Amino acid sequence: MGVKVRIPTPLQKLTNGKAEVECSAKNITELVDALEKDYPGIKDRLSEGGKVRRFINIYVNDEDIRFVNKEETVLKDGDNISIVPAIAGGR
Amino acid sequence: MLTITKTDLARIIDHCLAGYPNEVCGILGGTEGRIEKVYCMTNARPGPVSYEMDPEEQFRVMKDIREAGLSMVGMFHSHPGGYAYPSSVDVEKAYWPGTLLPNYPSAVYVIVSLLDRARPVARGYLIEESKVSEIPLTVIEEQEVDIVTQ
Repeated sequence: MGVKVRIPTPLQKLTNGKAEVECSAKNITELVDALEKDYPGIKDRLSEGGKVRRFINIYVNDEDIRFVNKEETVLKDGDNISIVPAIAGGR
Repeated sequence: MLTITKTDLARIIDHCLAGYPNEVCGILGGTEGRIEKVYCMTNARPGPVSYEMDPEEQFRVMKDIREAGLSMVGMFHSHPGGYAYPSSVDVEKAYWPGTLLPNYPSAVYVIVSLLDRARPVARGYLIEESKVSEIPLTVIEEQEVDIVTQ
């Protein structure tokens, strides 16, 4: 048993169209590496220099990882992870 | 085409005017090109030329939309001193960072210009495939009610 990851539409090309995937990881850094192993190219979309990209928000269950322990946020079996692009702009 | 009731459009415009001179933002839930629920959101980076939806609020609203059986048909934000047309920053932020993959395909970006606050202008756009295309907003009186006869 691992964690479930909800994949946003723009990344579903990399996950063969899957909107939800499962993988095993103990924290967000491991999760990104585990996803990369199964879906090459996804790591670069999600992170830059080991940090989650700005304007990409990751939630563990209902918690934004920025308010937990960022990339070191601990994951446990059964957790639901959501990757959500920010909605932003300006003139 | 995106359909919105007069009442919902008024809610959006009221939110935009209340936030003036800063930009405000929100999410539009609905089905098949029809707005059924307007969520007025918090701008986490308030300023006259920028907005970023409060991420936790955004997450909660997107969940609420899913659980209601609706989809996110669009989002809105104001241009307090600009036209009702996506800015270069709006376009850049509509795509996944470093790509031309739209973050929210098929979602209509509604922009409300407050250049003339007595006459706000709202227009909708699709931002995908490297282009901006206007999606007409159709304002209807109220939600039509199904009449059931026995």
